[in-house]
Amino acid sequence: MATTVAVAKQPKRGGRWSPWLFALPALLVYVAFLVYPAVSSLWFSLTNWDGLSATYKFVGLDNYFKLPHDPVVVTAVRNNLIWTVVTIAVPTIIGLLLAIALNGKVHGKPILRLIFYTPAVLPLVSIASIWGWLYNPQYGAINSFLRLIGLDGLAQPWLGQDSTALWAVMVPAIWLRTGFPMLLYLAALQGIPNELYEAATVDGASKWQQFWHVTMPSLRPAHYIVLALSLIDSFKVFDMIYAMTYGGPGTSTQVMGTWMYFNVFQYYQAGYGTAIAVVITLVAIAVGIPYVRSQTKEAS
Amino acid sequence: MTSIAPARVDLPLDTAAVEPVPTPPKGRRGLVITLVLIVVALFWISPLVLLVITAVRPLADFIGNGPLSWPDQLTWKNFSDAWDIGNFATTYKNSAILAAIKVPLGVLVSAMLGFALAKLRMRFRRTVMFSVFLGLTIPIYITIVPVFIMMRSLGATDSIFGLIGPYLAFGIPFEVLVLQSFFRQIPDEIIEAAKVDGAGDWRVFFTMILPLSVPALVTVAILDAVATWNEFLFALILLNSDAHKTIPVGLLNFQGQFANNNTGLAAGILIAVVPILIAYTLLQRWIVGGLTAGSLKG
Repeated sequence: MATTVAVAKQPKRGGRWSPWLFALPALLVYVAFLVYPAVSSLWFSLTNWDGLSATYKFVGLDNYFKLPHDPVVVTAVRNNLIWTVVTIAVPTIIGLLLAIALNGKVHGKPILRLIFYTPAVLPLVSIASIWGWLYNPQYGAINSFLRLIGLDGLAQPWLGQDSTALWAVMVPAIWLRTGFPMLLYLAALQGIPNELYEAATVDGASKWQQFWHVTMPSLRPAHYIVLALSLIDSFKVFDMIYAMTYGGPGTSTQVMGTWMYFNVFQYYQAGYGTAIAVVITLVAIAVGIPYVRSQTKEAS
Repeated sequence: MTSIAPARVDLPLDTAAVEPVPTPPKGRRGLVITLVLIVVALFWISPLVLLVITAVRPLADFIGNGPLSWPDQLTWKNFSDAWDIGNFATTYKNSAILAAIKVPLGVLVSAMLGFALAKLRMRFRRTVMFSVFLGLTIPIYITIVPVFIMMRSLGATDSIFGLIGPYLAFGIPFEVLVLQSFFRQIPDEIIEAAKVDGAGDWRVFFTMILPLSVPALVTVAILDAVATWNEFLFALILLNSDAHKTIPVGLLNFQGQFANNNTGLAAGILIAVVPILIAYTLLQRWIVGGLTAGSLKG
């Protein structure tokens, strides 16, 4: 694989402008609908625009200075952090465990794999609907199950109280996000040469030692991809929160993405809202750059 | 969700076909692991199973016996109610038209850019590549205010056609990433040979590159179709009349209307997800292959 790529680098023909004719349609769309809007958000974040009026004033960095004094921003940052850590760590660990189990001599492997990946293809809004329905305080399956096994005391309005709402939203997120690491780890495990395990066995390594000294090091590229992609993905959280709790109860489940939306479309503070979006986007870019660089380098 | 995945698609292989890691013979231990996995899988899929059971029983039966009971009676009425009230005929049509226009267009322009990056001598190649891949990290919400203004001045709000541009733009980074790495594996020799015979870049692209890349194109198209079908935020801000809503936005409205009708709600959610579940089951080989194969070899 790697060698063919290296050999394949050869001088190519073609006019000087021809490549740009191929590149132009995609680049134009990309610039017009992604780059240009993202950059003009930088400008709006420096204004006091309300989102409706024809005029607005340039206010410099005022919107940014206001952020730390906004209690909801503090909540949102905290929620984003919890969200990032939990929805990366838990799906990665469950995904790895499932992959290891599936990699053994298991019956019905394709159907099991199919089941575990299924939530990942569903629309986020439908996942939110399904779980909102499961969490229903009166008729939801979760409270019914708790009552059925005699734990009536644990039945509660999961999405309706500050103490549980964010965690209740993270459960479906975990449900949805476990499939991808599982598939990736499964593919990686199947790529580990048999000889490594044979050699380790000859050297008298126990199964546990083999796991830490053969399996885990071999999975390093998979860890990297899973972590990089989950990290990039976790900053984009919006749909689930919006559709399940609408940021509530109160503002307890607001994240930066939803708080941005509420400021722009509910409170008519488009300037302030875009400042929130700019901050989280800069963090997302900073975190994503190593991955983007690795993909660019590999391709060159 | 599926908007990003690692680079490089090889021919999608059924990953279950290879099992190199030594494990004890399929004996008692394999059976124990299988049993444990089956229990976990049942638990994992139980929300969807409950959804199906609830959708096919009358509301009175559901309330009388509770959500975890087996239905006494079966009915299809929930589906017809949900279909009418949820406006699914319209939202289905809108989502389907959108995907039918957006996906082929997106794959085509991405394949063209991927070809230029992988096989043509292009100036600023690495800069272009880096800038396009950087799009993977950009959250949609940073662009919604300017996109909204842009669409309003073009008169394209409240129309699914206003969504095509933003959807294309946010799909391009991933599609280009995967396709250019696939094109890179096509040997330069056959392209050179065609050029000696007088073929231009366009002919090479349409008669050689595209036919040789069908597996990658199919995978990218499927993942892109899933992402398009599921997109929510742009649709939420740009579409406001019921006649123009897509499935995710329509479903959200529907959820509000059916808050007290659990069986109708379950039927509505199923109506919204069944096509994607069927497509996934039939095409899962391509999805699984596309997400994993080759991504770990580098």
